[in-house]
Amino acid sequence: MTLRSALRGWLYVTPLLLVLVPFFVAPILVVLAASFMETDGFGGIIPTFTLANYAGVFTAPLTFNLYLETIKFTLFTWAFSAFIGFWIAYFLVFHVRNQLIAIGLFLVCTVPFWTSNIIRMISWIPLLGKEGLVNSTLIGIGVIDQPLEFLLFSSFAVIVAYVHQLTIFMVVPIFNAMARIDKRLIEAARDNGASRFDVVRLLVLPLSKSGIALGSIFVLSIVMGDFFVVKVMSGGGSASVVGAFYEDIAVLQYPPAAASAIVLTTALMLLVALILRTVDIRKEIAR
Amino acid sequence: MTAQPLAVPLRRGGGIARPARRPWTFYVLATAFALYVLGLYGPMVCIYILSFQDIRGGLVFPMKGLSLHWFVDLFTQARTGDVKGSFDRSIRLAVVVTVITVVVSFMAGLAFRRRFPGDTAVFYLMIGSLVAPGLVLGIGVGLGFTFLGLEASWYTSALGAQLSWTLPFGVLVMFAVMSRFNTAWDEAARDLGATPWQTIRLVMIPILAPGLVAVALFGFTLSYDEFARSLQTAGPLNTLPLEIWSMTLNVTSPSLYALGTVTTVLSFLIIGASLGAIVLLQRRRARRRPAG
Amino acid sequence: MTRKRGDIELAGVGMSYDGVTMAVEGINLKIPDGAYCCFLGPSGCGKTTILRMVAGHEHPTQGEILIGGENVVGLPPVERRTAMMFQSYALFPHLSVRDNIAFALRVRGMPKAERLARADAMMEKVRLTELADRLPAQLSGGQQQRVALARAAITEPRVLLLDEPLSALDEQLRVQMRQELRRMQRELGITFIHVTHTQLEAIALADLVVVMEKGRIRQAGPAREVYAAPRDRGVAEFLGGQNVLSGRVLTVNGTKAVFGGQEVRGIEIPLRPGLRLSAGDAIDVAVRRDDVELMRPEDGPPGPGVASVASRVLAVEYQGYFVKVMLDLGGQDGFTAYVPERRYFSNPFNVGDVVLATWDVDRAHLLA
Repeated sequence: MTLRSALRGWLYVTPLLLVLVPFFVAPILVVLAASFMETDGFGGIIPTFTLANYAGVFTAPLTFNLYLETIKFTLFTWAFSAFIGFWIAYFLVFHVRNQLIAIGLFLVCTVPFWTSNIIRMISWIPLLGKEGLVNSTLIGIGVIDQPLEFLLFSSFAVIVAYVHQLTIFMVVPIFNAMARIDKRLIEAARDNGASRFDVVRLLVLPLSKSGIALGSIFVLSIVMGDFFVVKVMSGGGSASVVGAFYEDIAVLQYPPAAASAIVLTTALMLLVALILRTVDIRKEIAR
Repeated sequence: MTAQPLAVPLRRGGGIARPARRPWTFYVLATAFALYVLGLYGPMVCIYILSFQDIRGGLVFPMKGLSLHWFVDLFTQARTGDVKGSFDRSIRLAVVVTVITVVVSFMAGLAFRRRFPGDTAVFYLMIGSLVAPGLVLGIGVGLGFTFLGLEASWYTSALGAQLSWTLPFGVLVMFAVMSRFNTAWDEAARDLGATPWQTIRLVMIPILAPGLVAVALFGFTLSYDEFARSLQTAGPLNTLPLEIWSMTLNVTSPSLYALGTVTTVLSFLIIGASLGAIVLLQRRRARRRPAG
Repeated sequence: MTRKRGDIELAGVGMSYDGVTMAVEGINLKIPDGAYCCFLGPSGCGKTTILRMVAGHEHPTQGEILIGGENVVGLPPVERRTAMMFQSYALFPHLSVRDNIAFALRVRGMPKAERLARADAMMEKVRLTELADRLPAQLSGGQQQRVALARAAITEPRVLLLDEPLSALDEQLRVQMRQELRRMQRELGITFIHVTHTQLEAIALADLVVVMEKGRIRQAGPAREVYAAPRDRGVAEFLGGQNVLSGRVLTVNGTKAVFGGQEVRGIEIPLRPGLRLSAGDAIDVAVRRDDVELMRPEDGPPGPGVASVASRVLAVEYQGYFVKVMLDLGGQDGFTAYVPERRYFSNPFNVGDVVLATWDVDRAHLLA
């Protein structure tokens, strides 16, 4: 019977593979192949094997700076979204008593994501811009004289935009993990004299680790793979690895761009694999 | 030690039991939550308001008056871009993506209920597809198509690229949904004589219906909003996010805000309808009252 | 109308999940048609595995299973004419009671009017007609069980398999539902196989009790036989109601032997005809708890033909119509006497009192 169930399993998973293979495996292989080729400087690709592109990626000082920028943004975004996401989820799970209200509030948090990503980005302009609402208000009530320049088109703006967009990716899995914590454990801890903060530190945090890990995977992959948020929100002042990739493609420098992309993707995959080691995702999702 | 009568005076209130008071942390967290929601909605609300900007107004506050000018502008002016066309395409693409996502995720969910050789590999392949930078995959697909001499278009290459993004999400949600499905149900169905297809049709799908709607919702939203992977794979005709993108680079009037308002309203309607469907399904289940 | 026979034979049945450890092994059993058979044993003893193998939800790695004389191994459940009632009932939550019951007929393609009529008839039998339109979530435990039973019985199976059907119910309901099950079985006239870990349930219901432990059958027989004459220590202990003493034969005199163990000395036990024992053999002796009478030491040694042992009272537990007196004897398993309530209270004991536990020598029973 196991042969039959194995065949059934494969039959049912074939449609998924029919998409994943040509639209994930193949493109990666294509980019990988391109990274080993030469560019003829005019947008064509000469099919030879060379490691020059990779050498270029690893030696150029630009690469180092790009990665630094990307990592900087990633870390800040991850830290803020994790912190905010954790407390939002905590509030929803442990402080809101009525389950219906909790779900309602949860939905309220997801509603903004029903608008286009890009629209949400440009929506920062009337808010944070020099003539924007924040600045006008602050000047109006006399806190400052000059509009705050750093609010928009800066690293600050980039991180604000990322956190705004990605905190929900943290809230959802952490909410899921926290909702699964047996409330009686908390009761037992409180009975034993633990303060509420102790309970969070010693009980809730460790038990939501898998949710945090899952959320982190989303946040990391989106930030490290981003190319347009950073460009728009920094006003061109900052760049990201994938952003540079995009620029290179635009000037048809396919092979060097490909090499850079492969390096980033590999780094990202390794990072994700590392996180997956700390938590059994399959058990996490399937209770 | 002899027992002493209680010398401590009774607390005010006479010791009557009262409902548990909320700790101070509740108020702190509630405020934080309110601020978070404010922050979430803030920027967009600005846009919604500004889309009603007067014809003399610019991209920022203050509002010089109220008018529907920019909405009209959006739909009539050619220079504001091919909104209608790209919107049309985006909706069609999203519907196709949704249907395929639901069916394929459901099947994959069924497959993963039992272990089969290579299941871990497929699982990690899925995670990889989720995590890989969209642009890289987009470029790869674009290059691949060029190499094969095929033309990239929104209903072929973009469809596939979007599916590589929505399917992992769909399958992950399916995992969570199916784990709540008691295997005793399908054993019972089998015991009573149902074929595997009958079990799926008569037992699994009705019970999992809300989950399937959730996957559909996910699929639709992710496709409708998808940008990075579509950028390189949509071909000559844009989807809505791509159109918006090119508009942000070219257009400098509040008609962009009007576009934002319109697309939001549309998303709300569609998603609201799906959620309504889930709620309706749940209600109908619980509605049956005892006879007599 | 001839109905296929529902007698069951398990021949050399064994099963292993991983190819290394056997979940059940060496199962040989014959269950007559129309019998109520209870499989009894602690968790993990394999009883549910055997049930599922008869149903067709598991496959034996060895042996044959014959229902009505035909080997059903390899046949899917529907072709075996068996039906199973699951421990959790597994009622379809999205279907009403009527639709749940009619489900088996629906998947066989029976037209709607006919299958609903049949379902209504079945609901009459289990007295569920007023609940026809309710959903499972709106039913009580006992009602859900009746629906599960009706759903399984509508296919007119020749064997009905019940997996711990009463475990989810509370005490009072459990006793009530026992009678329901018995009644249904008599009415339907088919073989029932009922798996349980509750001894009292098994002996109350079954024509045939099969006691299992660690994947093997320890004893199979009518309830009285298994309860009053357990074959070995394991069965005796599981069925309860017996005290087991271990020791060695000291002397043998014709029809009786004298036996002594760690806590007891010089107890006379009867020998079964045909059983050969010699001094030094290790044996286990069982004495029913309700056969033990307690006397105060000063009331003199008991008469001939009565074995007695002195010991201290450890605990006393009132159980309604009898009182459990636990004595400081018999090593780790303890030695308990069930004293009828009135007799006890006319002469109650205190914890720490020394008493004589006495029983008719002929009432003791040798275990394998």
